[in-house]
Amino acid sequence: MSTQSRGTTLDPVTFEVLKNAFVNAVDQMGEQILRTCHSFVIYARDFSSALCNAEGATIMQGNQDIAVHVGTLHYTAKAVIDAFAGDIHPGDVFLINDPYAGGTHFNDARIVRPIFVDGEIIAYSQSCGHWADMGGSVPGSFDITARDHFGEGLRITPIRIWDKGRYLGDIVRMIASNTRAPGDIIGDLHAQAEATRVCEREILRLVEKYGKDTVLTAFDEVQDYVERLTRQRIAELPDGVWQTEDYIDFDPNEGEGLVPIKVKMTIEGDQLTYDLSGSHASVGTFLNAAFGSAFSAVIAGTKTFFPDVPLNAGFYRAVQVDLGPVGSVVNAAWPTAVTGFCAGPHEKIMNSIFELWSVLKPERALACSFNLEYLLVGGRDGRTAEKNYFMWYDWMAGGWGGRNGRDGSNCTSPVFGVGLAVQPLEGQERLSPVITTEHSILKDSGGPGLYRGGCGVQKGGTLTRAEGAVISYACDRARSVVWGIGGGLPSIPHGVWLNGEFLGAVFSNVDVKQGDVFTRPSAGGGGYGDPLARDPEAVKEDVADDYVSIERALKDYGVSIREVDADLALYEVDAAATAEARAGIRAARKGWLSEPAEGIAARYRAGELDAMDCLRQHGVVLDWGTGALFPNTTVTFREMLHRRAVPHWA
Amino acid sequence: MAKLRVAVDVGGTFTDICVMNEETGAMEIAKVPSTPKDPIEAIISGVRDAAGVDLRDVVLFSHGTTVATNALITRKLPSAAMVATRGFRDIIEIRRGTKSDLWDAYKDVAPPYIRRRDRFEVAERIDFEGNVLEGLDETEARRIAGILRKRAVEAVAVCFINSYANPANELRMKAILEEELPGVAISTSSEILPEIFEHERFSTTVANAVLSPIIGGYVRRLQSRLNEGGYEGDVLLFHSGGGVMTPQAAEKLAVRLASSGIAAGAIASRWIGVLCGYPNAIGLDMGGTSTDISLSYQGVERTTKEWLVEYGYPICFPSIEVLTIGAGGGSLAWIDPAGALHNGPQSAGADPGPACYQRGNEQATNTDANVVLGRLGESLIGGAMLLDRAAAERSVADLGAQLGMDTIAAARAVIRVANANMADAVRLIAIRRGYDPREFALVAFGGAGALHGADVARELSIPTVLVPPNPGITAALGCLLVDVKHDLSEMYLATVADADPVKIEQEFVRLEAEAQTLLADEGVPPEQREVERSIDMRYLGQWRSLGVAVGSPVDVEAAVARFHAEHEREYSYRRDGAAIEIYRLNVKALGVTPKPEFQKHAKTGVAPVPRTTRPAWFDGDGPALDTPVFDRSTIAAGSVIHGPAIFEQLDSTVVVPPGWRAEVDEWLNIRMHDEEAGK
Repeated sequence: MSTQSRGTTLDPVTFEVLKNAFVNAVDQMGEQILRTCHSFVIYARDFSSALCNAEGATIMQGNQDIAVHVGTLHYTAKAVIDAFAGDIHPGDVFLINDPYAGGTHFNDARIVRPIFVDGEIIAYSQSCGHWADMGGSVPGSFDITARDHFGEGLRITPIRIWDKGRYLGDIVRMIASNTRAPGDIIGDLHAQAEATRVCEREILRLVEKYGKDTVLTAFDEVQDYVERLTRQRIAELPDGVWQTEDYIDFDPNEGEGLVPIKVKMTIEGDQLTYDLSGSHASVGTFLNAAFGSAFSAVIAGTKTFFPDVPLNAGFYRAVQVDLGPVGSVVNAAWPTAVTGFCAGPHEKIMNSIFELWSVLKPERALACSFNLEYLLVGGRDGRTAEKNYFMWYDWMAGGWGGRNGRDGSNCTSPVFGVGLAVQPLEGQERLSPVITTEHSILKDSGGPGLYRGGCGVQKGGTLTRAEGAVISYACDRARSVVWGIGGGLPSIPHGVWLNGEFLGAVFSNVDVKQGDVFTRPSAGGGGYGDPLARDPEAVKEDVADDYVSIERALKDYGVSIREVDADLALYEVDAAATAEARAGIRAARKGWLSEPAEGIAARYRAGELDAMDCLRQHGVVLDWGTGALFPNTTVTFREMLHRRAVPHWA
Repeated sequence: MAKLRVAVDVGGTFTDICVMNEETGAMEIAKVPSTPKDPIEAIISGVRDAAGVDLRDVVLFSHGTTVATNALITRKLPSAAMVATRGFRDIIEIRRGTKSDLWDAYKDVAPPYIRRRDRFEVAERIDFEGNVLEGLDETEARRIAGILRKRAVEAVAVCFINSYANPANELRMKAILEEELPGVAISTSSEILPEIFEHERFSTTVANAVLSPIIGGYVRRLQSRLNEGGYEGDVLLFHSGGGVMTPQAAEKLAVRLASSGIAAGAIASRWIGVLCGYPNAIGLDMGGTSTDISLSYQGVERTTKEWLVEYGYPICFPSIEVLTIGAGGGSLAWIDPAGALHNGPQSAGADPGPACYQRGNEQATNTDANVVLGRLGESLIGGAMLLDRAAAERSVADLGAQLGMDTIAAARAVIRVANANMADAVRLIAIRRGYDPREFALVAFGGAGALHGADVARELSIPTVLVPPNPGITAALGCLLVDVKHDLSEMYLATVADADPVKIEQEFVRLEAEAQTLLADEGVPPEQREVERSIDMRYLGQWRSLGVAVGSPVDVEAAVARFHAEHEREYSYRRDGAAIEIYRLNVKALGVTPKPEFQKHAKTGVAPVPRTTRPAWFDGDGPALDTPVFDRSTIAAGSVIHGPAIFEQLDSTVVVPPGWRAEVDEWLNIRMHDEEAGK
């Protein structure tokens, strides 16, 4: 805390006032978008806003931005600048959605507006929002089986949509006409373009008040400030190298077996470096990340441990990222399909980083959280004469990982973006011929631990008068099940059940008809610490609230609970039986992890064990529908438990 | 016998009382410590002893209270249960899944007001059009009622899916509960808030259920204590929508009292603005830990339907829109490791308070900076509170050393950052919504509002600042000035092209009849009743709607034209060709209470005499100016004083910086005009 460290030329007041004014200008964009957008995905807060400097570097990113866009807006600003260098004029507005130029996926459309002062570009304002559909082979443009971008949706390299103030309606119409929701797309494009004007107006006001030079200096200094702040925090930490790995369920090109994503973190002085270079090659589904979204995952994961540090290019300078060779699952090349990056690598990178930082900052430790998931039912709505196209496009809240001193959060939006709001089912029932049959907390879904994972959610639906409908699902972690740390246990597998049949956690275009019933859970969070050390009274309270069953209280925690009066939600702990049960589990549990896996699978098929028994006690991963063993997957999963759980068991 | 109107606003620390004589317009104020254990004690003793009021002389007693807000925040709630459609008892816990802090994994959303073990499910189902897919399972319903009786619950929320489209199953459940659980308060979601979107409707209903026993008991006791003292009317309770309601209405809609206190200040600032000829007013209510900002345009407060006491649990009644930021007199100035100067949101509060209170905090606050700059005196009038200048200087000097600044420069820096933060907040609520601050007056109140008002106004190019005679009791004044108000609404989802004007007119007529009944039940005479219609509309495909006022009979075309214009004003663009959807029909019912004239004070022509002078430093980097300090109570109407000047009074200090002209009007408001405005 010395004055020398400031190294700025602006006085501290002007600096602070302008820094806050930049935040305000960007937040005003977000406010406007929320109030005027058409896409329900944007309305559910899948958007972001940024002010970038004349070179495209981010000066300020919005406070309420979705995590998944963090660290990508400067790439798309730079792509626009590179494409139109020397040909950018006042009144121009540009559009880009290109994931191969640093964007996220095709649905995330970014509108970029240059801000001119005295004929010179001083900045760009950018509004990014998730459009409901971008064309491609499936409604919502999430085709899990897409092999390349041509099947996924329309790729928009940088284009001009306003030319010196003249709206280029022909271009916009052509784009909108390649989607399933042209009206909404034009509405969102206008809403976003106006939002960038709100930011422009604020910046011009500041220029008028403080002068161009002062504002330009402040642009630089807020980046320097964030870099300085971040480096100082890093310098306070010990030097060292930490590494871990997490997995995508499988690569259809290679058959059964978990797909590793490796994260190595190095701290040297005030420099923080990540190296993802050992990660697997691109997979044969759309669960790949191009460089922008992989970078975003690293930034968002790290930012979780620095919640008070503002986001801009200064942060990106302080965090070096080596994604390794092009062509991997975290650095996919054109035209590899990448739309599912958010359910695939992004989740795995973020949770890996959570695990690494849990060692460095144990007071903020966080076990793995449930996986982002999107279910989409699309088809014709037979309830109306016109049989309009409907898209029942749904995502769920789920459980977050157990924490140091606290259970994980129940039913919370994904780490992908905790602002991403669950949709109201009453709105969905008006818009689509799908009736929701259940939207409940899923008992026993939280991974057991000294502090258990938060509970996931169960959601069911039935189709009414749908015609020509198909169902698709983008998720993961049916096999690479949400894990615990420090001795904590896994939660439950993700995956969709259709009329009692297990479809898995990724599938596309399965035909469905009126009367079909589908249901799916969101996983809970992984547990933190040894579940046998959990306070039996806390287990009893969980039973009273039906977060945990009496049966699993005994199996997972070794706590024997007796019902006193269920009408009054009164239960009690049987201390003697608890001591006995805990001793029994303690003596046996390491052995359970090396029991022959095929025998466990057979007992699952016979109905003697359920998925929680297989995963939590035996580390065995199956096809949860047929009960067939995944031997390779099980080997890796058991190794994982030997790293994350066994060493912490007393 | 005098005819008095009494308004009492109960806050956490003080109970403020405003008494107006209907005949003379004279106003008395009193401030007594609140009695949190039983707030009614401070009300009764304050009105009787501190304000010297005989309740037999009172013709109208209005009351703003934080009883409901506090009950929700502290979770001191009665034993309550919820009955939901099978499969949906967790809607209020799943919420929308979001968190207020996007990045901090250790900042949690508060748990729901009703625990999971107290939430029950019953088989029943209505579809989106209101068709009964499954009737209520009455056997199950009675079994649940039996359990609730065994648990001795005091309130039940009945929350069924799609009940906004058809309340039949909810009403049947209510009837069964009333039979089985006599005396227990039952709130159904279709009666509390008949609107689409399950979480918002359920959340509002649950908040209402847990509050109804508390509010019911509270208003009955207050009413009887007042009646015992000789007051013959109903106690009128101030609600978040900026109106009052009777005890009967409050018992049924207890949740409407949940932001009673905050909204009252907004009403007062609107009223003061209108009184002084400024129908466009921005309220800046700055207290010890936070500042509440509100806006009224053309004499009407901005309201919102998105409001909550705690994140995640919306209360979806129209509520005065108030933006609260963490900037108050006690806000701490601090420097982060990278050398940037911040102001708030952490606050030293009232205890330990600013460094100059010498109660254990040594870190500089806004109050300390104001003392260092001479804008605040060392002894507030009456000497009730002494501020230690040396301690203030030490705290600010320490900050200055870290910034490489002398003490005065550091104090100026602290204040400028605080003012800029407040100006940013005003920008969010004003400029962002298409309002030009130059067309507004800033009404500065609260303990610290008038200290900062002029500087904040100049930052925003607002040319005029109004400071009411008693800035510290403005919320009580707001309670005094309100009308009986109810908000009714009906979902109506159709595009304008498909909408049936006859059906819309019928719905409005039905809502208005309901409104008239409510007002009649409350004893509002017909000539004092007013109803206003509005339609919420949006471009087809948009998610948020905009309210547009309509006349009677409804003219849809005119409403569409107004919608385009409002959209353009608020969001700076319009889409003339785009289809428009009607979302909701609203009726606002007012029982207008006649407003007495405030007492006017004659201009005496007596020149104001300063009590003393002291050096004070103002914005910029100039030297200290020898600044006259006036005792506000001695300043006559008609006085004109050019800045720099300082007015001190019991509950506030008014700073008139150089370049500002202060005029005292006939109601003793100080009106400050920026003489450099527009230059």
